[in-house]
Amino acid sequence: MVGQKTFSKWLIIIVFLLPSLAGLVLFQLIPLLSSAVISFTDWDLITKARFVGFDNYLEALGDEQTLSSLLNIVRYIVGYLPTVLVLGLFFSVLLGRKMKGVKLYRIFIFIPVITSWVAVAIVWRWLLNGQSGLVNYFLSFFGVQGPIWLQDFTWAMPAIIAVSIWKDIGYVTIILLAGLQEISDDYYEAAIIDGASGIGKFFNITLPLLTPSLFFVIVISLINGFQLFDQVMVMTRGGPAGATATLVQQIYENAFQNYKMGFASAQSWILFLIIFAVTLIQQSLQKRWVTYDR
Amino acid sequence: MIARRNLIRDALAHCVLIVAAVVLIFPFVWMLSGSFKDSLEVVKMPPNLIPETFRFSNYTEITKYFPIYRFLANSIAVSVVTTALQLLVCAMSAFVFAKIRFKGREALFVLFLITMMIPMQVTMTPLFIVFQKLNLIDTYAGLILPGIFSAYGTFLLRQHITTIPDTLLEAAFMDGASYFKVFRSIILPLSKPSIAALSIFSFMATWNNFLWPLIITSDTNIMTLPIGLSKLQGRWATEWNILMAGNVVSFIPIFIVFLFASKYIIKGVTMSGVKG
Amino acid sequence: MTKKSRIWSVLILIAVMLVVTACGGNNGAKQPSNANTPADTTAANEGNKEKDPAAEPKQDPVTLKFMQYTASGSQEETLDAMVKAFEAANPAIKVNVEVVDYANYYTKLNTQIASGDGPDVFEVGYENFASYAAKNTLKDLTSVIAADTSFKPESFQGLAYDAFNYGGKQYGVVESFSAVVLYYNKDLFDKYQVEYPTADWTWKEELAAAKKMTDPKNGVWGTYAPIQFYEFYKTIAQNGGGIWTADNKPNVNSKENIEALNWMLGKASKEKVSPPLNDDTFSQPDADLNAFMAGKLAMLRAGTWNFGRFAEAPFKWDIALEPGNTQKAHHFFADGLVVAGTTKNEEAAWKFIKFMSSDPAAVSLRIEKGWSTPAVSDDAVMQAYYDQKPPESKKIMLEALDSLVLPPVGPIPDQWGDLQKAIGDELEKAKLKPDYTAEQALNAAQKNVEKLLGK
Repeated sequence: MVGQKTFSKWLIIIVFLLPSLAGLVLFQLIPLLSSAVISFTDWDLITKARFVGFDNYLEALGDEQTLSSLLNIVRYIVGYLPTVLVLGLFFSVLLGRKMKGVKLYRIFIFIPVITSWVAVAIVWRWLLNGQSGLVNYFLSFFGVQGPIWLQDFTWAMPAIIAVSIWKDIGYVTIILLAGLQEISDDYYEAAIIDGASGIGKFFNITLPLLTPSLFFVIVISLINGFQLFDQVMVMTRGGPAGATATLVQQIYENAFQNYKMGFASAQSWILFLIIFAVTLIQQSLQKRWVTYDR
Repeated sequence: MIARRNLIRDALAHCVLIVAAVVLIFPFVWMLSGSFKDSLEVVKMPPNLIPETFRFSNYTEITKYFPIYRFLANSIAVSVVTTALQLLVCAMSAFVFAKIRFKGREALFVLFLITMMIPMQVTMTPLFIVFQKLNLIDTYAGLILPGIFSAYGTFLLRQHITTIPDTLLEAAFMDGASYFKVFRSIILPLSKPSIAALSIFSFMATWNNFLWPLIITSDTNIMTLPIGLSKLQGRWATEWNILMAGNVVSFIPIFIVFLFASKYIIKGVTMSGVKG
Repeated sequence: MTKKSRIWSVLILIAVMLVVTACGGNNGAKQPSNANTPADTTAANEGNKEKDPAAEPKQDPVTLKFMQYTASGSQEETLDAMVKAFEAANPAIKVNVEVVDYANYYTKLNTQIASGDGPDVFEVGYENFASYAAKNTLKDLTSVIAADTSFKPESFQGLAYDAFNYGGKQYGVVESFSAVVLYYNKDLFDKYQVEYPTADWTWKEELAAAKKMTDPKNGVWGTYAPIQFYEFYKTIAQNGGGIWTADNKPNVNSKENIEALNWMLGKASKEKVSPPLNDDTFSQPDADLNAFMAGKLAMLRAGTWNFGRFAEAPFKWDIALEPGNTQKAHHFFADGLVVAGTTKNEEAAWKFIKFMSSDPAAVSLRIEKGWSTPAVSDDAVMQAYYDQKPPESKKIMLEALDSLVLPPVGPIPDQWGDLQKAIGDELEKAKLKPDYTAEQALNAAQKNVEKLLGK
């Protein structure tokens, strides 16, 4: 953006960014750097820490549990992200329509987002129950004998993925819906004059202009996905036998229950490096597909 | 002709949405019904959708576990203040990141994103020590401050503000508008949907936040609702019906915020855009 | 930039600064009420002065920080009453109580300790006690106890009291304890004309009785115990096994242990007197307790903390000692109070611990409100507890103490969480994987534990 005098430009930058920056430095960056320091110690929270160099990192990288939980997370993301994106896009377009009752649907789709995990987990554990659960009852109509979802070494993770999608779908939909609403009508009017068809309008205008929102959803979902924690804690506690264990769950247990804050911090920084790399890749790729101001 | 085509489409859309709606709200309905059951019926398998008898006393029994009114009031105060301040702070920084070019902008933005990438489980202890040094343990400020500065909110708003056409801003500058004027009379009004969305997410995140309030508060006078709800889950056993009732109570305020804010997410009049 | 907008910018800047400082200032404003401690104490002191103005001149009140979990939720008022009683008896000491639910207790406790602002007195369960003691973070109370003539260790259940002894030093005092016993549904026993369990029952008698009462069609099972780590370490003890050898070497895959695990699994898979292993209805929270309440289980191994819950059962029930195989073994969970090594108020802390664990006023309150089982052995005090029925045979709990097994923390008390996982995950596999034998599972568990030791 051009046009303004440098002085007022810098003034606005400083004035508008300062609060955010000050807060982030004080409440996020300082703790963040502290945890980096802690990751080089054997701190257990309750006695004095000792410097141990890269020991924690070496241990974490050779630790089966750390690696297998990373693998679990990758499985989770691969199953979760594309599905939630496509469904979110689908519902946001559907709910952006003008038709009777659409307001009610918008409320319904958001209800899972605001229902607490604790309450949701009890219900889903019953729905996914191997013997008397509704899910398997439903599957039996198609001649499918459903697994004992949450106690099955293969199917526990897909079950977690499905429930997560169920919970987050409204969230993604709302963000994309907000993005859709902000697309200026001018674009569509211009397109109508050009004689564009419905599908053509979707692919030529809606989708490109929605890419900033899509980019946001992808980046955030990946960051959250790598830090998968809540749903696993309430649904399976990482079971059966570690099949749904996630890294943050281990980090939490190591930090506060196993007296290994130093090790937990090292695990966190390894996780950080992975998320950071993935995000950087997305940042550099976004130029190819994300359409900012036109 | 067009009208008929639309009718068919609407009917199709309704079919899809009704099925989806049932799947989406079933667990909530179950929670609601569970909150009226007695402690035996609530764990019955398979569950009854409608309770045999409605026990409204589950709701009053919550007060046996913790002072729910006080906790509720604290939660509302903390969430409202946090959300309001977060919207302001994030909108300002998002505007800068989206519309003002300066050297180092991208790098600075990545720094923002980085703060989301370390699990708070390990930054929590250092943060606690920071707050101890600032003498903010057991204060409302201690509950509110960390929630105001949100890389997430900045990111969300930035993504939406970038889609506002530059030509609009340039025209305003031509007319002699200042940056601030542009922010107030173009950016903010045009970002209403995303600001509304952020207000829901921000309120929800603060409302449900558990670990931080847990460690920063010791005085029951300033504790928030999630801490109270955690008292409903016992070490050995849990009264699920009371827990459900507590979760219903916790659900209502977010739901109200959602109802209120969602009006602004959907632009009222022209919906031509997305219709095929 | 116009003049007006520049003013605006400055105004916003000021506003933001104000918000930030206001929050800080808020803190300042909060300080007095946060310090409702000093305020309250002065009030309390004034109260005292009114009582006997001359007796106590000016004594600076000591404030103790106390953190605990067992009261969370349902017994916070009882705890309050106990603390008030203590403060009334010790006007110079003021106690700041903080109650945290069990699931999050150690998160908060350890964070506070980490910040250097931990509690003076806190509650620990045995398995965590060992970690704190091993790390040398607790005050050794041995000499204080020896010097205090009014405190008699003999007035406690001996083994419960010794649980808070580590390396020959007494670091804490037990407050309450619980055990796991065999609950049985008398109505079902009567219906099938089976003799009630007695103290000399072994697994064999249990199995025979269970077979008679099992009725899968109606979902009634003869006996049930969960398959998880805690149940495992007790069951192997009932077969003469253990996680560790006498000299603390891992011994997870011993013959006795494999036999015991096969018995645990076999009740369901081979004998079919327990619900099938893959019946995940039984893996829902509290499912076994609910099944017992619904009359679907003839026998259940469950904690003594369920007395209250089962009191409303629509049938007659009682408890018995757990049948063992070669010997008896019972779980024992003790909660005790310890003093932080960093405390500056050792004397007050000791007075408080003594009061909470053994003062008749505190113990009686505990019994009256049905708040777990005090560990004192004084029959005069405890009679009130035994008189609360059901169960009829409540005193069995004390007999269970004669064969207690403590959580087997072995040589690695601070890796208790890892140890649970190292063995527990394998137990889960043995339970859920059809062709994964007990022997395979315990061999793998042995390797896992050896790895833990190597760290």
